[in-house]
Amino acid sequence: MPVLSNSQKYNLVKIMNDHIPHAALLGIQVERIDGEELTLKLPYQTVLVGDSDAGTLHGGVLTVLLDQTLGMATVCCDATEPSVTPTLDLRIDHLCVAPPGMDVFASARVYKATRKILFVEGCAYCESKENPIARATGSWVRVADIDLSWLAPPDQDVV
Amino acid sequence: MALVDNVRNSPNLAALEVWLQKVPYAVFLGIKAELNKGDILFILPEDKRLIGNPSLPALHGGVVGAFMEQAAALHLIANMDNPALPKIINFSLDYLRPARLRDTYAKCLLSRQGRFISNITITAWQEHVDQPNAIARAHFLTP
Repeated sequence: MPVLSNSQKYNLVKIMNDHIPHAALLGIQVERIDGEELTLKLPYQTVLVGDSDAGTLHGGVLTVLLDQTLGMATVCCDATEPSVTPTLDLRIDHLCVAPPGMDVFASARVYKATRKILFVEGCAYCESKENPIARATGSWVRVADIDLSWLAPPDQDVV
Repeated sequence: MALVDNVRNSPNLAALEVWLQKVPYAVFLGIKAELNKGDILFILPEDKRLIGNPSLPALHGGVVGAFMEQAAALHLIANMDNPALPKIINFSLDYLRPARLRDTYAKCLLSRQGRFISNITITAWQEHVDQPNAIARAHFLTP
């Protein structure tokens, strides 16, 4: 039995995302939650370009998007209570450059949860998740439970 | 034999300055660089726009990583015979302590500069270099 319903996860992740000043600056939005998988979207912007001749996004921008997507995917895990989880480590393989002018999506899910550690994997893509531009794995540490008493119960879902 | 071989003795600061201005995302983050005892010191100035956790407040962890990756790329450019934009292959980042809302520094070690591939380790800190906030390793493909 999942700890949270899909729409409860959506509400929680949306509130978390909206409270991150740098996410607001970049325009990172919650795209969807599908079971334990979270997808965020980063709109293309010329200030985020790494190679100005090619117009391709900087690799570091993907680090920001993937760090946030994998980190927030921890609250979508059905095996554990949603927790406060600082990042322990993150590894990113850059499979190809992001096509210029295109929005980037990142999807992530917890693939193993232990009492203290959440192991997360994800990828970034533009057109299709089957054709990722980067893959990421990382681990997050559970330091405290999140108080969810304010969250609407499942039967009051509005999403 | 030192770990570092094949490396220029003094970094090409002119090339570094050119590329600092040429990379839009480096300008967006406000990254600066200066020479400190023969090493390049990279600086990410304190900026409220870069906050990830407003309650601490702490910088966005991804931004610290992005700063370190950009520092590594610029460090490599400053050590190339023909400076050109290197391509990131992969990046591995260990977070040691949260980065607070203050200036962040980074220094790089070019562990190996091959014909096509370079390996760079990066250390980022705020209060003291011996108390890093994050350490990272990057591989780059050079043209």
